[in-house]
Amino acid sequence: MNRSIQNLLSITLVLLLSCGPIFAQRGGGSARTSVNGNANRNANVNSNKNVNANINHNANVNVNKNVNVNVHQDVNVHGGYYGGGCCYHTNTAAVVAATAIVTAAVIGSRVNTLPPACTVVIMNGLTYQQCGTTWYQPQFVGTTTTYLVVAAPR
Amino acid sequence: MCKRLFCSIAILSFSLSLMAQSSAAPKNADIDPAAMAALNKMGTYLRTLETFQVKSVQTTDDVLDNGQTIQTNGVIDLLAARPNRLRAEITSDDMHRLFFYDGKSFTIFGQLVNYYATVPAPPTIGELIEKLDEHYGIEMPLVDLFLWGSPQSDSAKNITGAIDIGPSSIDGTSCEQYAFRQAGLDWQIWIQLGDYPLPRKLILTTTDDVARPRHSQVLTWNLAPSFNVAAFTFEPPDGAQKIAIAEIAPSASDQKGTQTGSLK
Repeated sequence: MNRSIQNLLSITLVLLLSCGPIFAQRGGGSARTSVNGNANRNANVNSNKNVNANINHNANVNVNKNVNVNVHQDVNVHGGYYGGGCCYHTNTAAVVAATAIVTAAVIGSRVNTLPPACTVVIMNGLTYQQCGTTWYQPQFVGTTTTYLVVAAPR
Repeated sequence: MCKRLFCSIAILSFSLSLMAQSSAAPKNADIDPAAMAALNKMGTYLRTLETFQVKSVQTTDDVLDNGQTIQTNGVIDLLAARPNRLRAEITSDDMHRLFFYDGKSFTIFGQLVNYYATVPAPPTIGELIEKLDEHYGIEMPLVDLFLWGSPQSDSAKNITGAIDIGPSSIDGTSCEQYAFRQAGLDWQIWIQLGDYPLPRKLILTTTDDVARPRHSQVLTWNLAPSFNVAAFTFEPPDGAQKIAIAEIAPSASDQKGTQTGSLK
C-alpha cells in the first residue's frame, strides 16, 4: 500500500481512537438493577458491571517527532446493563502530530466504535471488519457490541 | 402489634422457613413480619404464572468518576412461557437488543448493528439465567421476576429491614408500598392489592456507592398474552451477521490475553 495513504489511515484511526467517543469512566459503576442475585453478581454490579473503556494512552514522543500511540482498552463487563447508556462523550486532546508515523491498534485490544471506511469480510464463517490494515472481529461483550483487534485472518 | 415474644417466635420461624443458612438474625424491630409476608406472597404468586408478558419502563443511574449521577431511560418488553421459552426486547437511549430463547439456544440480536450471536442454551429459563450471568456477564432483564419465590432467590435472607409504608396507587391500580433494606441496597416495591399480588413498581437505591445511584421500574402486566411459538426462535433477517459472544474469563488468573482474555 502506498505509504502516505497508509499513514493517513493510521492517523485517522488513532485520531478516532483518541478523540472519538471516549467512554467516561463511571467509577461508582451504575445502580443495581435487581434485588435478587448471587453475592458475586452483586459485588460485580457495583464495581464493573457497566461497560467501561479504560483507555491508556502512552504517547512516546521522539526527537524526530514520530509519535507512537498505543491504545489499549479493557472492557469490563458483568451483568446486564439495561436502561443504561453506554457512552458519555468527553473531549480529550489528540496527541498525534500531523506528520506522525503511528502504530495503530494493538492486536487483542478492543474498541467500541470502528474507524470509517471499513469493509465487511466473512472468512471461515466469521464476520470481520477490515479497516485499512487493521482487522476487527465484532463480538458481543455482555450486551454491548465491541470490536476486537485481531491479526489478519487467512 | 404483637407482643415481643410472639414476634420473636413468628420471625424466627419465618426466617427459618426462608433461610437456608440463618447467620445474622436481624433485629425484630427492623423487620415488619407483614412486609416479609407480602413479599413472600408475591413471590409465591409469581411462581404460579406459566405465561406472562410484562413491560418495564425504567431508569438507571450511572455514576461518573466525579460522583455525578446520570440517568438513562429504557424499556423492556418481555414475554415468557415457562419453562423454556422467553423473548425480550431491550430498548434504551442508545441500544436495542432482542433476546430469543426456545429451550435449545439463546440468541442476542442487535438490530441497529445487525449483528447476532447464538449459543446453546440449557433447558429451562432458570438455568438460562445462571448461564447468561456466569458465562457471558448478561443479567437477564427483569431477573427478579424469575427469582422471587424460587429456591434460587436469596432476597429474603438478605433483608435486614422491612417496612409497610402504606397504600399507594400505580397507574390507577391500588397497591401497597413496602420498603426493604439489605447490604448495599435499599429498595421499595409496590405490590398490587387483591387477587393478583404482582410487583408494579420497584425502586432500587445502591447504598454502597456514595452517589447512591437509583434504578426504577414501572411494570405493566399481561397475564394472558397471545403468541406464536415461532416468536421465541430467531430467524436472521437479511444481511444480519453472525458474530461471537465473549465468554467471561473464570478468574483473573486465567487470563489468556487473546480473544476473551482481556475480560475481567
